[in-house]
Amino acid sequence: MTTENNPQTNNPSPQITPTPLPRKAKQDRAPENDPGLWRMGRKSFFSFSAWLAFFGFIGISTIGSLRMMFPRILFEPSKKFKVGLPEEFLIGEVSEKFIDKGVWIIREQGGFYALIAICTHLGCAPRWLPTENKFKCACHGSGYYKNGINFEGPTPRPLERAAIGLADNGELEVDLSLKFKYELGDWVKEDSFYNYVA
Amino acid sequence: MKYFLEIVTKPDNIPIVALLFLVVFYTWFAFKKARKNDSQELPEEAKLDDKIQVWPNLVRVEFLGTLIVFAILAVWSITIDAPLEEPANPTLTPNPSKAPWYFLGLQELLVYFDPWIAGVILPSIIIVGLMAIPYIDINPKGNGYYTFKERKFAILTYYFGFLILWVALIILGTFLRGPGWNFFLPWEYWDPHKVVVLNNVDLSEMIGIPTKNPDNSLNIWATLFGFSFVSGFFGILGAWHYNKFKKTETYKLMGPIRYWTTSLLFWGMAFVVLKIILRLLPPVLGAYPIKYVWVTPWFNI
Amino acid sequence: MISPMQKFRESEVYKSIFRHKYDDTQRNRALQIVDNVFLHLHPVRIPRHATNVGFTWGMGGITFLLFLILTLTGVILMFYYRPTAQYAYEDMKYLMNDVAFGPFVRNMHRWAAHLMVITVMLHMFRVFLTGSYKPPRQFNWVIGVILLVLTFLLSFTGYLLPWDQLSIWAVTVGTNMARATPLLGHDGPFGLELGMKIDNDIRFVLLGGTQVGPPTLLRFYVGHCIFLPLIASIFMVVHFWRIRKDGGISGPDTTKKTF
Repeated sequence: MTTENNPQTNNPSPQITPTPLPRKAKQDRAPENDPGLWRMGRKSFFSFSAWLAFFGFIGISTIGSLRMMFPRILFEPSKKFKVGLPEEFLIGEVSEKFIDKGVWIIREQGGFYALIAICTHLGCAPRWLPTENKFKCACHGSGYYKNGINFEGPTPRPLERAAIGLADNGELEVDLSLKFKYELGDWVKEDSFYNYVA
Repeated sequence: MKYFLEIVTKPDNIPIVALLFLVVFYTWFAFKKARKNDSQELPEEAKLDDKIQVWPNLVRVEFLGTLIVFAILAVWSITIDAPLEEPANPTLTPNPSKAPWYFLGLQELLVYFDPWIAGVILPSIIIVGLMAIPYIDINPKGNGYYTFKERKFAILTYYFGFLILWVALIILGTFLRGPGWNFFLPWEYWDPHKVVVLNNVDLSEMIGIPTKNPDNSLNIWATLFGFSFVSGFFGILGAWHYNKFKKTETYKLMGPIRYWTTSLLFWGMAFVVLKIILRLLPPVLGAYPIKYVWVTPWFNI
Repeated sequence: MISPMQKFRESEVYKSIFRHKYDDTQRNRALQIVDNVFLHLHPVRIPRHATNVGFTWGMGGITFLLFLILTLTGVILMFYYRPTAQYAYEDMKYLMNDVAFGPFVRNMHRWAAHLMVITVMLHMFRVFLTGSYKPPRQFNWVIGVILLVLTFLLSFTGYLLPWDQLSIWAVTVGTNMARATPLLGHDGPFGLELGMKIDNDIRFVLLGGTQVGPPTLLRFYVGHCIFLPLIASIFMVVHFWRIRKDGGISGPDTTKKTF
């Protein structure tokens, strides 16, 4: 980048600076009568309040419109559902029976956990590839082991677990609204794993 | 090759093929005009400086242009149908899933950066950086005519950003990324079961500082190393150019704010390229690709 | 004997519509521009290079034309489209199979939208290469960048409306980036610390729910058909106005011999 002229001199429409009108000098008060920070006349107080009201109105209207974007009630499928009796699952199997609800049920030697089928990279739905023994996301190629820990691709963290437990009728119950993140140490918490030995 | 042709001729990808040709043509065309202008005393445009009446001279051109656009659109709309796939199914992700074509450059960057950088920070910096261009480029030359000689730095930087980091990445993302976002050469079969080892390591691990302690907590030394790497990159390159540049007349005219904004944007662009290289180059040399250069408890770069 | 045409030209009706004569004189040519509300966007006289397609590439004008085409075809499409998850896809099928010229209008809307993204980029490319953002046109470049973003947003919101696999997944990938927004997204850096959850962060505002679903379709529809075109129109008005006010189309400053 080389420059020879000042850009200002090259400006086809130079700025016109008008000479300011002379202002009436404010009367200074004697120091003992000076209100200091509160030096504000009656008129400027009214002016200040009016502007405050004006911008206050605009500000509150904006906040109100934003709040309107968050409805109080959502009509979305229930986050809590039963998935069947524990005996219906095989040890070592990744059950895709409830993939429509966005969850895999996995039974290990010691019990059950439910992995949420949302890629932690950008929210695509990964697939379970039994032959390669991993979850693989189609969007950007993130890969996870069977336990949900990420090992390849761009994803920054492991899959999330949903809460799993036993319902009153003896069936397993998954609650998608309760999530457990590995990197926060949640996977040792209650409900992130359901202990079950047949 | 069959798959490549299939993807190239997909109705939604026709604009990219068009864009490819248009960008190449216009780059060549602008360069030709710039060379001609640079080789003579007065730019061509200055010779066509006499005032003419808009009616009919300009209105005629606009009318013709309208007709041509309508003709192209009519033929295009009659011959090729806009795609309509199966109804939306939130549980079945198509493989590969791609964003609209004009975002595929950004989607390609998602391979190299975490979503908050590639999807939020980088686009914001691109937008703000573009807006800042008129205020940081104080070179008064080349205003209103094609030139290259008089503003080499500005034009080369823009070419790089637009042609490489935007258009080329869009084309890569559209035509060469197949199932699993794996890279496929044009003649390769898009195998959905292609296994690519994507085991990444962090930069600190490459030089022997493990990112994680044995108890799986974050190693503070890795964080500090990453911080010194990133700040070193910007600090050393920024300081190097500043030392070279501060004595020049241009620096005095620019002032520190303009200079450092330009510097930050420029080295930021270089950093994106560096991160891409760090991911792509090591496998060629037989090493693991780099995942992050800086790992912290809150974010990773 | 005067011809009927001539008689019509001298009638009160004709004169009330066209306020000037059509004889080829400088004055009438000027009036043709000044007296016409659509054409008075133009100045009466411009430098010759501004009519040279080799200089301007005509991309800005084509972009505006495409915006008009998109508005027109979009309004026609709205007659056959209901933005609910239940009907949207069926309406698309209906439009493509059972409406006369339905596919044509939809194709035109789709391809014009793609073309507009291209022409916007090329327009920006040209403006950069001719240095047309330099003083006094700095601010108009800024408005142009905003219009570029609005074009992307318009195209992106329109992508969801067919409610097919292509649209829902493109939008899922696109809006999931919002969940990673620093501070404002529940997955982004410092989002958790600021109390962002899946049902109160910036992504929720876009989607109207915790996933791409029926509320998202409605939000994108309103944004695509009303909100964004309105905003874009306002910025376009300013963009065109500023071209005139900043001294017309850029060109070499021949008053100074700095070349």
